[in-house]
Amino acid sequence: MSTIRARSPAAYWLALPATLWMMAAVVVPVGMIVWVSFWGGRAFSPDSPLTFDNYNRFFANRTYLGLVLETLRHTATMMAICGVLGYAIAYFLVVKVRSARWRTVLFLAFVIPFWTSALIRAIAWVPFLGVNGVINQMLLATGLAEKPVEVFLYSRTGISMAQVSLYTLMASGPVVYMLAQIPPALREAAMTLKAPPVTVFRRVIFPLTLPGVVIGQVLVFLNVMADFATVQTIGGNKIALLPNLVINFYEGAQHRAAAVVAVLLMLCMLAGVAAALRVVDIRRLGAT
Amino acid sequence: MERLPQLDLEIRSLRKRYGSFTAVDGVSLEVGKGQFVCLLGPSGCGKTTTLRCVAGLEEPDDGDILIGGREVTRDPPWQRDIAMMFQDFALFPHMTVAKQVGFGLEMLGKPRADIAKRVAEVLAAFEITQLADRKPTSLSGGQRQRVALARAMITEPRILLLDEPIGALDYSLRETVMIELKQLQQRSGISFIWVTHDQNEAFSLGDHVVVMNHARIEQQGAPEDILQRPRTPFVAGFVQGNNSFFGKVAQADGGMLRIEGAAGSFLVPGGGRAIGSAASFSIRAERMGPAGPQHENRLSVRCVTVEYFGSIRRYILERAGGSVLKLDQFGAEPAWLRTGETAEIGWATADCVLHDAEGAAAPELVAA
Repeated sequence: MSTIRARSPAAYWLALPATLWMMAAVVVPVGMIVWVSFWGGRAFSPDSPLTFDNYNRFFANRTYLGLVLETLRHTATMMAICGVLGYAIAYFLVVKVRSARWRTVLFLAFVIPFWTSALIRAIAWVPFLGVNGVINQMLLATGLAEKPVEVFLYSRTGISMAQVSLYTLMASGPVVYMLAQIPPALREAAMTLKAPPVTVFRRVIFPLTLPGVVIGQVLVFLNVMADFATVQTIGGNKIALLPNLVINFYEGAQHRAAAVVAVLLMLCMLAGVAAALRVVDIRRLGAT
Repeated sequence: MERLPQLDLEIRSLRKRYGSFTAVDGVSLEVGKGQFVCLLGPSGCGKTTTLRCVAGLEEPDDGDILIGGREVTRDPPWQRDIAMMFQDFALFPHMTVAKQVGFGLEMLGKPRADIAKRVAEVLAAFEITQLADRKPTSLSGGQRQRVALARAMITEPRILLLDEPIGALDYSLRETVMIELKQLQQRSGISFIWVTHDQNEAFSLGDHVVVMNHARIEQQGAPEDILQRPRTPFVAGFVQGNNSFFGKVAQADGGMLRIEGAAGSFLVPGGGRAIGSAASFSIRAERMGPAGPQHENRLSVRCVTVEYFGSIRRYILERAGGSVLKLDQFGAEPAWLRTGETAEIGWATADCVLHDAEGAAAPELVAA
C-alpha cells in the first residue's frame, strides 16, 4: 500500500465525511446565527428584511458595551494568571521533577479533574467557596480568619478562583509539551557559554516554549470567553459576562439580540486567534 | 612527581556516584598547557562523567578540579574558563548561525560592534560566512559541527571539552574533520579534552591518551606507550593488535619470569613476582611470526581466516585450546599461511609486555 498523497482524489474522498459533518454541525448553524442577527422588522421570520438595527440597538446601550469590555478585561486577567501559573507548573513538572514516576503521578493529579465536564467542575466549586464551604472552614479552623469570608461565592473573586483552577492546565499542557522537546544539552550548552540560569531561561528556554505559551493563551482565551457555566453557578445571578447575555436574551425570547451577542463573541474570538497566529505559526509547530 | 610550571587542568581523586552506581572512582589527571588529551574507553566507563565534572555540569562527590591553577570544583559552569562541544552539537534552534556564534561574547558583556566584528572573523575562519543568517535546522551535519565549534572557540577558553564531537558525523567526513581539529588545536594553543570510544580517534589525535574502564583510569600516557606497553589485560584487549596470555608464575630469575598457562609455557621479561602468583602478559600481533631458531616462545596454531588491509595482512589464528590470536604481517610480503593450514608461530622474549600485578594502573603524571 502506498501512502495517500495530498490533493489526490482519494484524499478528497477521505475528507468528505468529516466535511459533511462539520458543515451540518458548525458551518450551517453559524451561518444561520449570523443571518438571524441581521433580521429586521417586527416579525421573527425568514422573510424579515436584512438590517443593522439589532447591532445599532446593542451598541447604543452603554451597559452592553461595558459588558464587552468587562468580558475582555476579565479574560485578559485569567490569561495572565493561568499563563504564569501554568508555565510554573509545566516547568516544575518537566524540569524539576526528576523521577519519571512522580512526574506521571503529578501529571495525572492535574489531568484527572478534566475527565468531568466543565459544568460539573464549576458546580463542584460551590461547596468549596460557600460561607460554610471547605475553604472558609479551613480558614476558621486554622485561625486565619475570624469570620467566614463571603467574597468567595457569588462574586467575581470566586469566579476567578474557579476559572483559574479550571483553565490553568490548558495553559500548562502545551508548555509541558514544548519544554519536554528541549534537549537538556541546550541548557547545558548555554551554561558553558557563560549564561547564568536566568539568562538561559530568558534567551533559550522561554523562546523555545513560546509557541506552547501562545497556544495555551489561545485555549484559555477561548474557554474563558465562552464560559457561561462557571459565571452562572459561582457568580449566582449577580454577575454576567458576554456569554451569559446570550442566555439571558435567549431565555427572554429575544433571539435576534442573542444572535447579535453570539456573533460579536465569535468575532472577538476570531480576532484573538488571528492575533495569536501572527505571533506564532501554530501550523508549523511539528517542524521545529 | 615534578610540578609542571603551569597546568591547564588538574583533577585530583575525582569521585562521582549515582545512587549505588559509581561513575567515576578516584580519577586523577594533569593536563599541561595546550595539550590534546583523549579520554578513551567503552560506554559507561566514566569518561563523559569526568568531562561533565570538569565542565561543572555534574558536581563531584569528592576530589578537586583546578582549571589554570584555580580551584573550581564547586563553581557553576558559567564561571569556568572552559567551552564545550556536545555530541549532537546542541545548537540553539531559534538562533541564526551569527547570533549563535556570538552568544558566548554576548554573555561576556562585550559591546555589540565588537561582537559583530569578531563573529564575522570567526565565521570567515571556519568558512561558514555564507551560513550567517541560516537557522540550524537547515544545516548539514558537517556545517552544524563547524558552527558548534565556532560557537565554542569564539570565547577563547583555556580548555575546550569535546564529548564525542565527530560521532554524529558521516563516516566519510570524520577523517577530514579530525585533521582540521588537530590543526586548530595546535594553532590556538587551547587544551582539548576529547572524549571518545573510538581508539583510532584517540591514538591519532591525542598527545596524551587516558584509557578508562569501570570508573577508573586503567592507563594513561603517550599513544605509543599505551599501544606498545599495555599495563593491564583490559588495555591490551581494548586497544587493537594485542594478544594476551594468562597464567601463573612458575619460575623467576635473572629478570625473567616463566609464566605457565593453558596456552603453554612462556618466558617474559620482568620480576618481583611470587612463584605461583597469577600473571598476564601481551604480545603485539606484528611482533609474532613463523617460529624460528631465535624464538624462545612458540605456539602451534591453525589459521581460521586471513584479512588483507593493504598495508598489513592479518591472520586470525586458533590455538589447540580454542582461544583466538591475531598475527600481522606487512601487506607487501608474500603470505606464508592460508586458511585451514596449521603452523608453529614464535616471538622474541623481549617483545613480551608483562601486565601490572593488580588490575588497574596507579594514576600517573602527564608528560608535558
